[in-house]
Amino acid sequence: MIKKLSIPRETTSIVFLILLFVGVGSVNSSFLTFNNIMLNLNSSVIYAAVAIGIAFVIITGEIDVSVGATLGMTAAVCGSLVRDGNVTMGIIYALVVGLSIGFFNGFGVTVLRIPSIIMTLGTNGIVRGLIYVYTDGKWVENIPLSFKSLSQERVFGTFTWFYFAVILVMIISHFIMTRSRTGRYFKAVGDNPNGANLLGIPVNGTKLFAFVLSGLFAAIGGIMYVSRVGFITPIAGSGYEMKVIAACVLGGISLTGGVGSLIGATVGAAIMASISRVLVFLGFPSNYDNTITGILLILVVVFDAVLQNSSAEKMRRKRLAAKIMHVKTTVPEVLGNE
Amino acid sequence: MNSIPSLKKTVLRWESFLIVLLLVEVIVFGSINPKFLIPRVFFGSINNFMTICIVSLFVTFVLITGGIDIQSGAIVGLTSIFIGVLWKDAGFNIYVASVLGLFLGVICGGLSGFFVAFTGVQPMVVTLGGSFLYSGLALMITNFSSTEAYKGINGFPKEFTQFVRGKIFNIIPNQLLIFLVLVVIAYILLHKTTYGRKVFLCGVNKNAATYSGIKTKLIIMSTYMLSGLGAALAGILLTAYLGTAKTDLGKEITLPVITAVVLGGTSNLGGTGGVIGTALAAVVIGMLRFGLSMADVNTQYLDIPVGILLVIAVAIRFAGSNQRIGKFNKKLKGIFSSKRVLTK
Amino acid sequence: MSESNQATILSVRNITKAFNSNIVLKGIDLDLKEGEVLALIGGNGAGKSTLMKIIMGIYQPDEGEISIAGKYIKLTKPSVSLAQGIYLVPQEPMLFPNMSVEENVIIGFKENSRQLHKRLLMLMKQLDWNIDVTRKAGSLSIAEQQLVELLRGLMRNSRILILDEPTSSLTFNEVNSLFNIVDELRKKGISIIYITHRLSEVFLVASRVVIMRDGVIALNGSVDQFTQEMLVQGLLPQETKERELHIENESIDYSKLEPVLVVDKLSGHGFNDITFSVYPGEILGLAGVVGAGRTELATTIFGRDAVLSGKVFINGMDITGESTPRVMAKGVSYVAEDRFLNGIYKISDVAANSTASNLKNMGRFFMNFKEEREITNHYINAFHTKVTSQDQLMGSLSGGNQQKVVIGRSLAIKPKLLILDEPTRGIDAASRGDVYAIIQGLKAEGLAILLISSDMEEIIELSDRAVTMYGGKINQVFSGDRINQDSLMAAAFGAVEESQVND
Repeated sequence: MIKKLSIPRETTSIVFLILLFVGVGSVNSSFLTFNNIMLNLNSSVIYAAVAIGIAFVIITGEIDVSVGATLGMTAAVCGSLVRDGNVTMGIIYALVVGLSIGFFNGFGVTVLRIPSIIMTLGTNGIVRGLIYVYTDGKWVENIPLSFKSLSQERVFGTFTWFYFAVILVMIISHFIMTRSRTGRYFKAVGDNPNGANLLGIPVNGTKLFAFVLSGLFAAIGGIMYVSRVGFITPIAGSGYEMKVIAACVLGGISLTGGVGSLIGATVGAAIMASISRVLVFLGFPSNYDNTITGILLILVVVFDAVLQNSSAEKMRRKRLAAKIMHVKTTVPEVLGNE
Repeated sequence: MNSIPSLKKTVLRWESFLIVLLLVEVIVFGSINPKFLIPRVFFGSINNFMTICIVSLFVTFVLITGGIDIQSGAIVGLTSIFIGVLWKDAGFNIYVASVLGLFLGVICGGLSGFFVAFTGVQPMVVTLGGSFLYSGLALMITNFSSTEAYKGINGFPKEFTQFVRGKIFNIIPNQLLIFLVLVVIAYILLHKTTYGRKVFLCGVNKNAATYSGIKTKLIIMSTYMLSGLGAALAGILLTAYLGTAKTDLGKEITLPVITAVVLGGTSNLGGTGGVIGTALAAVVIGMLRFGLSMADVNTQYLDIPVGILLVIAVAIRFAGSNQRIGKFNKKLKGIFSSKRVLTK
Repeated sequence: MSESNQATILSVRNITKAFNSNIVLKGIDLDLKEGEVLALIGGNGAGKSTLMKIIMGIYQPDEGEISIAGKYIKLTKPSVSLAQGIYLVPQEPMLFPNMSVEENVIIGFKENSRQLHKRLLMLMKQLDWNIDVTRKAGSLSIAEQQLVELLRGLMRNSRILILDEPTSSLTFNEVNSLFNIVDELRKKGISIIYITHRLSEVFLVASRVVIMRDGVIALNGSVDQFTQEMLVQGLLPQETKERELHIENESIDYSKLEPVLVVDKLSGHGFNDITFSVYPGEILGLAGVVGAGRTELATTIFGRDAVLSGKVFINGMDITGESTPRVMAKGVSYVAEDRFLNGIYKISDVAANSTASNLKNMGRFFMNFKEEREITNHYINAFHTKVTSQDQLMGSLSGGNQQKVVIGRSLAIKPKLLILDEPTRGIDAASRGDVYAIIQGLKAEGLAILLISSDMEEIIELSDRAVTMYGGKINQVFSGDRINQDSLMAAAFGAVEESQVND
C-alpha cells in the first residue's frame, strides 16, 4: 500500500492514455497512425491550456467553474480585435480580461470569504451574460486567415506550435511549482492549510494567485480558440469548466487539494479530448461521449475518495496505536472499601 | 451581550426581505411595461420558470445537509426523453411512464447520494460526474427511439398536456397551483416531520447527529434521492407543458437553481434554510428574468443579474456571520473610542 | 545538571490571555536560558498550550510582553516567531502528507535547493537518522514524522525549540533516541521547552522544571531540587479542602448488585485490554491525562469506532461493536468530550438540541412539537437551565447551560448507563455545582454512571470508585479513601510502581 502511494498519479494517467490508444488501436488499427495520434493530442490543446490554469486552483483546494465563461469572453474580445486588424491588442486585452476575472474570483474567495464554488458559479453567470453584452448577441466572424492558420502550423510536422507552446509553458510552470520556494506553496496550501499557516506560508495570497493564473490560462485558451475554431458564438466555451475539471481529476489531481501536477492536467486533457474521437473509431455513436465521461469521472473520484479516506483512517489508527504503553500490569477489580 | 435573535426571527426577516424584493420587482417592471401587470400575463409568467422553482425546492434539502447538487438539469432532460421514448416507442401509457420516470429520478439522485454519504466524495464532483452521465444517458436513450435526438418526441395525449397548460378562471395557470402544492408538501416534509428535523441536524453538526443516534449516512443519501425526484417531476411537467420530450430540457438551470436556494436563505454550509425562502427566491429570480425580458432586455443578458445577485447574497450572509469582519469592526470602534488599551 | 550560567534567551513577563470570559493565563513569568532543557508540566486546562501558541505567534496575549535575547518583540504571527528562531514541534505532526520528507523540511526557505539538500543530509547524519528523503510524509510512522518536524526546526537554526509531548506516540526505543537527540541539541546551545505528562521523563531529560496550574506557574526550579512526589504535589490545586465526601456517600453494597456495564478485556484504537464494570447507582470515575485513551474507550463502547478484541455487555446483553443507534436503544447514553465539536447544534434552538437523541419518540412521521416542548421544559426546569425561551439559539447559551441541555438530551432516552466525558470542561463554577447536583441526583435514581474527567477534584467529589488510565491501559483502581488527589494524580501521570517491559 505504501508503495502505491509513491507512484506518481500522473504516471497512472499516462498509462491509462497509452492503454486507451492501444486498446482502440487493436480494434481499429487506423487509430494508431502517427498522424492520428498527433491529431488527437493537438486537438486537446485548448483543454490543456485551461486545465493547467484550473489545476493551480484545484491544487490549492479550491474550485473554479467560471473558466468556460472566461474562455468565451476572452475569445470574443480577442476575436473582435483581431478581426479588425489588431492582433497584439487582441492578445493583450484578452489576457487582461482573463487576469481580471481571475482576480475577481480570488478576491471574493480570499477576502470576502465566499466559498469558491458559489463565487465562481456567480462569476460564471455574470461573465456569460457579459459576453452577450459585448458581442450584442452576434457571432464574431471574419477572422483573418493569417490568424486562423497559426493553429495549423506544426513543428516539423508533429505537434502544432500551439500545443508545443502549451507543453513548454506547462513544463516550465511544473518546474516552478515543484522546485521553487513559492511554487511549492500551492501544494502546501492544499495539502494542509493549517500546517501551511503555521509555517508562515501566505495561504490567502497563494489562493488569490491561483485564481489569477486560472483566469490567465483560460485567456490563453481563448486566444487559441479564436485561431483554431475561427469564429466565436456567444456560447463559446460553455461546458468547458466541467470538461477541464474532469480532465484534472482524470489526470490525478485530487479535488481536496495538495495532490497532482500540471503534467497530470495535460494528460487528463488529452484523455478528455480523445474520448469522443475514440468512440468514433470504435464505431459508437458520438452521443456516448458524455456517458463515458460521466462514468469515468465518477469512478475516478469515488476511487480517489475511498483511497484518501482509507489512508487518513490508517494514519489515525497508527497515531492511536502509538499511544498505547506497552507495560505489563495486572490490576485486580476492586469493589467496595478495602 | 445583546440578545441574539432566535433562529425563527432571522429566517422571518430574510423572507420578508424577499417578499419586499418581489414587490419592488412588480412595481419596477410594472411601471416599465404595464403589460407586466395584466393578471393573465403576470400569473402566466410562472410557466417560464416553473422548472427552476420545482427543482430548487428539493435541492434545498441537499444544501441544508451541507452538500450541493449540480446534476438536476441533466436529470430533467433524462426523465423527459425517458418518458417520451417509453410512451412513443415502447407503447407505455403516458402516466405509467411518468411514474417510472419519477423512479428513475430517485435512482439517479440516489446513486450520487450513495457515493456522497458512504464514500465521502465531494458532492460537487460526484454530481458533476452525474450531470455528464445522465445527460449522456439521455442521448443514448434516443438511440432506442425512432426519433432523432434533436427533434424531440411530440404528439403527447391531450389530457396529459392540457392539464399542465390549463388555467383556472383563465388566469391562474395550473402550474402555479401545482407549485403551491409542492411548496406545501416540501415545507411539511422539511419543517414538520422528524425526517426534516434529522435533515437539519445533519447539516448543523454531522458529528453531533451521529452521536445523537441519527443515521446520518441514510439521511444524507435520501436528500439526493429527493432532489432527483424533484428534478424528474420538473422534467415530466415541462415535457407536458411543451408537448415535447427532449434530452436537453434542463440544460441551463444549474446556476438559477443554486442561486435560488442560496438567495432563499439556505447556507451552503448547511444547517440553515428553508423551503419558503427557496420558493420565494425562485419566484424572485424568475420574476427578475421575466420582468427584464418584458422590459426588452435581451434574454441572453439575464444571467448577469442572477449571477450578481448570487454573489451579493452570499457576501451579505458571510459579512454578517464573519468573525473577521466583526473583529475589524471592533478595531474600528477601538480606534475611535476614547478609552485606549495600553500596549507597550 | 547544574544551573547553567548562560544568557537568557527567552523571557516572558506577565502574559495574560482570556478567551471570551475564560481567563486561561493569569500573568505568566518565565525565563529560559541558552542550552537549557525546561520541562513544562501541567494538567489539562492549565494553559500550557495557550502559552506555547502565544510564543509561537499563533495567539496574541492580552497583556504582557516577550523578549528574545534581551529584545522586546511582538510576535504577531507565526512567521515572526519563526524568524526569531522559535519553532514549535506540535504534538500531532503537521506535515504535508502528499509531499516528500525533503519538501516538507525545506519548504519556505529562500536558499538554493541544492544547498538545502546538502544541509538536510548533514543534519540527518548528525541525528544519526537514515531515511529516504523522497518518501511521502504521509507514509511515515508517527515517530518519523516527529523527527521531520524536528528537522524543520533545526534547519531553521532555531534557538528555541518547543517540543509538545514528543514521546506521547513513541515506542520505548524511540524515546531513548529522542532523549539522546535532545541532549545533543542542548550541548549545541539550543534551548528546549519540553512539555510532557510523564513525570519520569522530567528527571531523565530536563535541567529545570516548571509546573503550570490553572493559568499560573505553581512551581519553578532546578530539577535536582525535586522528587516525583513533590512534583505531584505541585500539580495539585492549593485550596484542597478536606474532602470528606466519601463519608457523605452511603457505601454501596455491591454484593446485592448486578453490574450494568461490563467491559471485558476490551481493546480498540487507542486502548488495550480494558476490564471494569459499572454498577447501578454508582459513579465510576475514569481519570487520566489527555491521550490516555479514555475518550477512545468511551466512543468505541458507544459504537463510533471498531472493536479489536474483547467484549462489552449492558445488563447482560452483548453490545460489542454495535452501531450507535443500537447501543442507544440498549440503554447507553454518551455525553461527548468536545461539546463544541460533537455535542451541540450551535445554530439550532434549545428545543431541537434537547430532543435530537430522542426523535424516535417525537412522533412517527410528523414532529410532535407539543411533546418536544414538554420534554425541553422538563429538563430546563429540572436543571435550572438559564434560557430566555426554548427558541433561544444554543450558541448563545453559556457553556454551563449548554452542557445542561446536552445532559438533558442524553437522559431523554432513559438510559441505563450514562457516560459523561469531561462534563464540566469550560463551564463556570456555579454551573459546575449544578451539574454535580444533577449527576448525584441521577445516581440516587439508580443510574449507572461512568465519569471521565481530567479534573481530579471532580473525580474525588463524585466517584464511588475510580480507575486511572495511562497509555491506553488501566493502571490503578481506587475506592473509598484511596480516591484522593495524590494517588490519582500520581497514577494519571504514570508514577505508579509497575514492571516496565521493553517491547
